[in-house]
Amino acid sequence: MSHYRQIELELDHRFDPFSRRHFLNGFQSVLHCHHYSTLYTQLAIDAQETDLLREVAEDAFVDMLSAYFEDYDITETEERIQIAEQYFAAVGLGKMEVVYLGDDSGKVVLHRAHVDEGWIKKWGKFDRPVNYIAAGYVAAMFAAVNEKAPRSYKVTEVESLVMGAPKSVFNVVQK
Amino acid sequence: MAIDRKKIIDDWSKIQVLGDENGLIESAGVLINQLPVPFWNGFAERLTSKVTPDLLESVEYLLINAAHECGYNTGYGIITSPEWDAIVKPMLEKLPEDILYGAFAVLTAWGWAKAEIVELDPGKRMVVRGYDYYEADVVRYGKSTKHSAYMLTGICAAFMDLAYGGPYDPTGKTGIKTFKCEQVKGIENGDDYGEFIVTRA
Repeated sequence: MSHYRQIELELDHRFDPFSRRHFLNGFQSVLHCHHYSTLYTQLAIDAQETDLLREVAEDAFVDMLSAYFEDYDITETEERIQIAEQYFAAVGLGKMEVVYLGDDSGKVVLHRAHVDEGWIKKWGKFDRPVNYIAAGYVAAMFAAVNEKAPRSYKVTEVESLVMGAPKSVFNVVQK
Repeated sequence: MAIDRKKIIDDWSKIQVLGDENGLIESAGVLINQLPVPFWNGFAERLTSKVTPDLLESVEYLLINAAHECGYNTGYGIITSPEWDAIVKPMLEKLPEDILYGAFAVLTAWGWAKAEIVELDPGKRMVVRGYDYYEADVVRYGKSTKHSAYMLTGICAAFMDLAYGGPYDPTGKTGIKTFKCEQVKGIENGDDYGEFIVTRA
């Protein structure tokens, strides 16, 4: 039987006084609101570029998570998942729970979600899933935890808070 | 007391922003996120670079519009927040101009851009310069043939709406889109700074 330590995300926030830029654990970050994130999402839907939105999210987050695992020497799967769940919350994307993660498949639940709740706040419920940013994050998390390249996993949102479900559910399958 | 831009930036940039027990950041009447810059730049730049020329104008309009709505709603939340009352309000003398100058200091503290007003004709026209802004990072070598500061363009117009567009309207039916902004220079285009001209719509 394996025993894992409860691990806590460490955040090093710096504001460069010259460039006036924010850095979170060495990665430049910026504050934006749900109007901006949901309008980006709406644009992706209208332009039929939801895959692009998911991919840029995956690219951005896989670097961030992989660097953290390396910098803090996080090697155990369960500890990596704990960090990824905490990171998701720390940047304001919501409350994530990894139900299971394997090399080939997985399932992730969002109990709360910035994009869905922002969308409902702005426009009300919607008839299809909209959280491509979280889908990209989940793909990045699976790639980073399993040390695979980006685009290794297909992530599909099968239940959605924005549609009125009690939680959002993402199925993950290795391509 | 006049607006002390440096003090506003110094004080506001120290505010800790972190998701609560639900992983959400609620502030200034909106839900906030703090995502890596390559996410925002990646979507805007890949999308505008891949669309056909006949669609580029529409896509750029929608990217600017996203920031315009963000700037209008979040901007209002900022200038009515407890943090504003504590840091900026004691400096306000001439309204609404000082609110506008203060808002650009907060914009800088949020990491949107190292930007400030260089000309202001109250109620009519404003010129903003961005001396460093993350949207210019889409070019690492050479000069882009198009402007990329969609976010900053939308924000500049939104802040003029808040100052001179009438009462804030959360429904977006009035108040917003009374001003428009055009980017005329860009660091990404080889200029020393980005320049943004806001006029009545």
